Amino acid sequence: MNPQGREAIGGIILFLFGGATLALSLGMPIGNFRAAGTGLFPMILGILLMTLSGLFLAGLVAAKRKSPSAPPAVPAEPPFGRQWAMFMGATVLAVALFGTLGFPLTVFLLMALLLRSLGMRKWGGVALLSLATALSAYVLFVKILKIPLPAGLPGL
Amino acid sequence: MLESLQHLFAGFGVATTTVNLTYCLIGAIVGTLVGVLPGLGPIAGIALLIPATFGLSPTTALIMLAGIYYGAMYGGSTTSILLNVPGETASVITCIDGYRMAQKGRAGAALAICAIGSFIAGTLAIFGMVFLAPPLAEAALAFGPAEYFSLMVCGFVVLSNVTGGSIVKSLMMAVVGLIIGTVGLDPVTGDARFTFGTTYLLGGIEFVAVAIGLFGIGEILSNVGKPQAALDQSVTVPRLKELYPSLQDLKQSIGAILRGAGIGFGVGLVPGPAPVIATYASYMVEKKTSRHPETFGHGAVEGVAGPEAANNAACQSAFIPLFVLGIPFAPPTAILLGALLIHGVVPGPMMISEHPEVFWGVIASMYIGNFILLLLNLPFVPLFANILRIPKRVLLPLVMVFCITGMYTVNNSIPDIWVMLLFGVIGYTMRIGGFEGAPLLLALVLGPKLEVAFRQALMISHGDFGVFLSRPISAFFLAATFLFLCVPLVRAAARRWQARANPA
Repeated sequence: MNPQGREAIGGIILFLFGGATLALSLGMPIGNFRAAGTGLFPMILGILLMTLSGLFLAGLVAAKRKSPSAPPAVPAEPPFGRQWAMFMGATVLAVALFGTLGFPLTVFLLMALLLRSLGMRKWGGVALLSLATALSAYVLFVKILKIPLPAGLPGL
Repeated sequence: MLESLQHLFAGFGVATTTVNLTYCLIGAIVGTLVGVLPGLGPIAGIALLIPATFGLSPTTALIMLAGIYYGAMYGGSTTSILLNVPGETASVITCIDGYRMAQKGRAGAALAICAIGSFIAGTLAIFGMVFLAPPLAEAALAFGPAEYFSLMVCGFVVLSNVTGGSIVKSLMMAVVGLIIGTVGLDPVTGDARFTFGTTYLLGGIEFVAVAIGLFGIGEILSNVGKPQAALDQSVTVPRLKELYPSLQDLKQSIGAILRGAGIGFGVGLVPGPAPVIATYASYMVEKKTSRHPETFGHGAVEGVAGPEAANNAACQSAFIPLFVLGIPFAPPTAILLGALLIHGVVPGPMMISEHPEVFWGVIASMYIGNFILLLLNLPFVPLFANILRIPKRVLLPLVMVFCITGMYTVNNSIPDIWVMLLFGVIGYTMRIGGFEGAPLLLALVLGPKLEVAFRQALMISHGDFGVFLSRPISAFFLAATFLFLCVPLVRAAARRWQARANPA
């Protein structure tokens, strides 16, 4: 998708977000300007966001009509790919197990999975780096800074 | 004036005792470490170490805690420059040009300019504190809800000009931040808003989670999708002598540092997250006054020097309302107020006469602390810059581990980590669409305060919007807002007119 298309989708999402905010705020007490209710401020913000995103979308349409082959206004970012999904999947798994596995084991697991997802092939290197990170993080946060981090089932 | 100088010299006598010097050093080192670790900002750092001061005298305790505060502010800039991860809120703006400088192999120069700028600004701010504290504190008292509201609106519009992109896009992001800021309990009535029946959301969305998510995780995710060859690359770190700023860099920075110090000192006196507003305002001023505004956002050294100086000066002058009025205007000074009360010192108009050793000792220790930070950080510039030698394949997982750990330590909460990851994905998606995260973040911090000020001002005026224009300070800020909004439009119109006049 071209950058203008991405910007347009962003504008539409923000317009809908503003609409949702407005709709939800109308379910709260609005009051008046002298004695504002809970919903007044979000309601104003919802309307403001819808107005701004409307203006933004109108600007995009006008720019497209004016010069259909305008240069991209936004930088090209790499798309959501397999590597990206593996990286996020590994992170989500590690956070889900954080409370159960405890801090050092989670850091070890997270490092190992992330390094593998980024293409580090040698298991020895992965294990060594993960172990070094887990140990250093444990010493720094738990032993030196005395921060209470989840001990999990191993009780570390 | 002479009396103030005499008091300051007496303060130096207090601050330079062996015990106080040692604790000042410990505070500066711990603060720098705390600031470098993403998520562990000055608030968490001071809060964690208050119990360690119970056995100390009030002066020594406050000297150490203040050292942690400004040490953390400096440390936060280090991660902004090297990893695009703001260690704390005020460092968000440093990411813009600092990180670009690092990507061009100029991390050392950026870090050194930070240290030098912070030292100069801190020094100037301390002299400002000594001579201007009493009259300026009185001026700050003139701020009511209407002035506060107008100041923040002005801040948003200034910020929307900062990022260099579309002003409408920036304003949209600011409004999204304000909406996210309304989640939780209504600050006036106490009713729940947008909590969808969960108790977790009653406290609102954790600001640190949004900050680390949008910037730290967003940056990681945008790198993860890159090809394998890009992941093996590391940023070229130049030789030692090239790590420090050149004479040209210093020449370019000195004006920005002095302007930043002035802005930071002034903003630090008014309610709100002073360092955040000060950094944004300084960046804006530098961009407007620069002969090469197009370099901003691409590694302009003034874009690092000005905001960093403003940040440090604002941190120092934020002590004035705390000491003279007993009112903390920002969360870190609120925690320092708690520490003072624990030690039996009640800040307020009587503090200077009742506890002169605490007041002047802490002010003098700030100068010494700034000097210690300069001595500590300049030699460590090569060490910090070497972080960039690590290939991204290894660096990205390491940053992710620190982000997750740092996030957990803020509230000992795993749901906060989920929120951080969610905002990481949002931040990455925003990058794809070309939307900036900085306006959203500032609006999230200021949102609840803006709403309270808005509602209080209207309550006082019985619903009359004229209150924002009838009060001179408020009218001044609104006029400035109007100018900031109009200047880009006028410039664009002038460019179009010029293009039509000279079609070739």
